[in-house]
Parts: sequence; structure tokens; C-alpha cells
Amino acid sequence: MTVVFQMEAPYRGAYELHRLSFGSGSPSVAIVAGLHGYELTGLHAVNMLATALQVQRPRGTVHLLPLVNTFGADEGRKRWPFDDQDINTAFPGDPSGTAVQRIAHALLEATDADICVDVHSGAPHVRELPHVRVPMGGDEVELGRSMGLPVVWRRPGDRLDATGLIGAWRQAGRKALMVEGGRGSSLDTTHSATIARGLGALLAFLKLVPTGSGPGTLADVTHNEVETHRAPCGGFFVPEVKVGQRVRAGHLLGYLQSPIGGDRLGEVRASRAGVVLSLRAYPMVHSQELLVRVAWTPT
Amino acid sequence: MSEIAPIISVEMPSGGQVDVVRRRFVGGGGPGPRVAVVAGIRGDTPEGIRVAHDLCTFLDAHEADLAGSVDVYPCANPLAAHRSTRRWPFFDVDLNRLFPGRSEGHPPGRVAWALTRDIEGADQVVELRGAHPAFREASQAHVRHRDSRAAELALGTNVAVVWARHPGPVASSTFAYQFPGTIVLEGGTGNRVTPGVGRDLLDGLLNLLCSLEILGEQDLPFHWAGLQRPLAVTDEEVVRVRASRGGLFLPEGGPWEAVEAGAVLGTVVDPVTGSACETVLSPVSGRLLAVREQPVVFPGSMVARVVTL
Repeated sequence: MTVVFQMEAPYRGAYELHRLSFGSGSPSVAIVAGLHGYELTGLHAVNMLATALQVQRPRGTVHLLPLVNTFGADEGRKRWPFDDQDINTAFPGDPSGTAVQRIAHALLEATDADICVDVHSGAPHVRELPHVRVPMGGDEVELGRSMGLPVVWRRPGDRLDATGLIGAWRQAGRKALMVEGGRGSSLDTTHSATIARGLGALLAFLKLVPTGSGPGTLADVTHNEVETHRAPCGGFFVPEVKVGQRVRAGHLLGYLQSPIGGDRLGEVRASRAGVVLSLRAYPMVHSQELLVRVAWTPT
Repeated sequence: MSEIAPIISVEMPSGGQVDVVRRRFVGGGGPGPRVAVVAGIRGDTPEGIRVAHDLCTFLDAHEADLAGSVDVYPCANPLAAHRSTRRWPFFDVDLNRLFPGRSEGHPPGRVAWALTRDIEGADQVVELRGAHPAFREASQAHVRHRDSRAAELALGTNVAVVWARHPGPVASSTFAYQFPGTIVLEGGTGNRVTPGVGRDLLDGLLNLLCSLEILGEQDLPFHWAGLQRPLAVTDEEVVRVRASRGGLFLPEGGPWEAVEAGAVLGTVVDPVTGSACETVLSPVSGRLLAVREQPVVFPGSMVARVVTL
């Protein structure tokens, strides 16, 4: 383990950005988690991969940065706690700028690799089925598919803003993938294991490690093939499905009820067959908030 | 009396609602421009909300004399103001990064959308802010770089500085960016109302309405000759001074004090031992536009802004 960046911090020990590196030479892959302090499913997944790489000896270089926002993680917060800034809006960063700009700059330097992966969780109030987000075309689509994660989601212009890590990587000429799974402020070990398998499959696809296969893709969709259900009114959402569950047309996904008295205010049903990609976890919902996403499948 | 109407009502999950309100003053003095004044986009800026209310009080008494109309949105982010936090609660998003908003989706996005739509077509837009809670600031007006009309108008807003700013990387998602010509007025400190600052900004707003010929000069409760004559600066003349060490920053000097190049702006002390670990010096001669109020600093934290003369 190497400390690739250090910054003194008032009242406590210095901030340190840790990197675990395996192997040497090309191709090179960098995998980052914990850019948001409360997203811990990815942290666990990257550590699971690190355990595997200790015996696999990659033919090429793998850099793992399991937890960027250590101070945020200490407090269960998404952002850098001191000034409440999101590191993921501070790229490309500045070595003599504010704390998050310095961290962003150091992270971009520490992930100088051919292929980069940023692992996230959903917000604390939304549970996400592990999936990879890729652009609509290009090499990154094949790289994303090679992970064999439950859903491959092709999105136009996804995270191209260069103030975010994915955009900054792409602007630097690196292939960039975003993986998301689980939910913030919690740990789902099953999702961590799924993501770890997907990351291992990517390394196998690149011939960095001899074997590895993803958990299996259930849906490979564009943004037009993801059905989003929003709350028709405010209320208390009761889900009737779980993420990863296959549903058919007309399947009851959940219902809204009055928080006081429990009168049923509406139902949410799938319009087509698919797999539940995102599911509201915190039941108090405002009007038009996301309740369920279903990624369509052929059957 | 002004018309008070919600531009959007946000239904709360447990029942009840929160309204974002517009107060519309339509003058009896004939046709004229429409001005929109927006405050409280962030919940930790009560100074702007105070000025908006003071403006409404004045306009209520002078509505018959107005030529044109003034729409005042005293608080665009009422849930955050309710908690004195910068961001919209629960979603924890900065409303000033969501513009122009979305007609569908979470409430803050829809509030941004409703505000944008409601203001469209206004002849002049003014945003009232407070400073960031970590700083004390001199009164200032921000306009977009090379917007000479807005800069000219802002010179009459009774502030210390008119700052023509280049748009930053996130500018397109801010409120002010949606309406070219917007003048942003701010000063004081976040989550506080500062004696004098609110009065200065109110007088500046009234003089702006006079410049736009909505108010007559005879209606002003002061003589224009008593207003401040601002310094006009660009980004190149505003120098950010940063701490290079982490610790507690103990400032010397307050907003708009004159400083010489090499003057001591403050000291960073070790928070455990209290021993000095850095003396922060002004790199240029000028005046302090902002001074850090919240003392805890990391390496790279801004401790002051100095405007060169």
C-alpha cells in the first residue's frame, strides 16, 4: 500500500490517499471507490478484489484506491466534511487549491491508466442493482459488457462534465467506466461480491488475470429502455419487489399510501417485462420522486 | 397592496405544503420595465431575504408611483431557510446548481424550473445573496464579464465593488446565468444579518429602480449623491489569498480595510498547541473584499480576497 498524497488536517491526523498496486507494465487499470464518503458497497468490493489480486499476480498494472474520501466516510457523509464540497465536482483539481481540489488533482495523477473505473452506490434513499454505465458507443461499451454485471446501461453523454471524475478521465484520453450498486450509508455484501466479480471479469477480459467471469447480464439497455416510475403524489411508498427481481408486464412494483391512516393513493406497475434496476428505500416520498426503475428485457 | 401568489407549491410527503412565493407590485404610474428580485436561493443567506422584505415594505408604500412592475421572490428555498442550511434538505442539493431546472423530478429541480419560467421576459433580474457563512464580505455587485450594461447599472447599487466575473465551470447551472444582465448583490456574512449591509443593499436596489425609471428620484428616501461610488474590477484584480498550512486562522483586519503588499492578514496557529505555524501576508496592495470568519483551515483554504486598487 502506498500513500500517494498527504495533506495535514487540523485537529486530527493527516489526510492520506492510499493506493494498492499490483503487477507492472501494460495494460493498466485503475479502480476507484469511496469518492463519496458514505458509499461503502464499492469500498468492500474493491477490497475483495484486492484480496484476489494478492494471489493472482496480474500481467499488467492494477491500481486500486478503495476509499478516497476517508474523512467523509468517518462521518457517514457524501462530501468532504470540512467545507461540505463534493470531490466529484472538483476535477481536474488544483495542487495548490482548496482541500478537495488538491485531492482531485492527486487522484487524477494517481489513476494514470489505460482504463479507469469509478465505483459508486446509490443515494441512501435508493437501492441500485449493480450495473455499469457506459456511453452509447465506442470501446467503453465492450469493456462495460465484459464485466457481466446484471445491467449494462448505455447513456448519452454520461458524466461528460469534466468537473467529475469520469469526465476528467475521458478528457485525459483514458477509457472510463462508472459502476454503481447498493445504496449509500449501508453495506450490501451480496452487491459488493457482484461488483467484485464484475471488476475481476474486466481484468480477465483485458488478460490481466487468467480467469474471471461476471455474475451474468440480465439487461443490456439504452436510456430509452429503462422505465422510470415516479411518485404521482407525496406519500409513503411500499415496495412489492426487490432490486434484481424479474418482472412481467403488469407486475405490481409497489404502492403509495397515506402516511397517516394508510389509505392507498396509487399503485405502480411495470409496463413491460424487465429487471428491477433501482428501488426507493426510504419510504417517505415527495411528488415526482423516483420510486422504481425497470430495465427492459426481451421476456 | 401587492399581489402575493405562490409560483409553485411543494407537497410534503407527510402532508401540508411549502410555497415559493412571488410578491408582485404593479405600479399606477404608467408602463415601464419589469424587474425581478430573487432572494434566498440558498438557505444560509438571510441578509438577502431581509433586503427583499425591506424592499417590499418600501414598494407597498410607493406602489401607486411605480412606472412598470417589480416581482419580488423573498425566499426561493424556504425549506433550507427554515433550517439555516445552504442546501435543500433531504435531497441535500444546492438549488443554485440546478438551473434552469426540470419540469419533472424532485422538488428542488421543479422549484428551479418554476422560478426560471416565472422570471422569463423580465427586463432586469437582481439576485440578493448573503456571503458564505465562512466569510465576512464588503458589499459587492457581481455581473457577467463584458456585460457593460449590467456593469453600468451596478455602479449605482451602493456597493463597494462591482466585480465583472468570467463564468466558471459550473456557471451554466446557476440562477444568474439563466438571465443575461443579472446583477447579484451580496455582502455581510452567511447566516447573519449585518448592521449597515442590509441598508446599503436596499438603498442600492432602490437607486437601481430609479435608474430603470420605475421609481422617480423624488421617491428615494436618500439623495443619490450620498451613495457609494464602487470600484469596478475584473477577475484579474481580485486576488484570492490561501493558507498553506492547516490550523486555526486568526484574522487581522476586516472587510474593506486597506492593506499594503506584505501586510499581515492573519496567522494560522496549531489548533492543539496554539503556536503560530504560518503568517499570511497580503501579496498585493489593495482592500480586503472578504475575510475568513470561520477559523478552521486546511492547506489551500481561502482566508481572504484582496481587491487591487
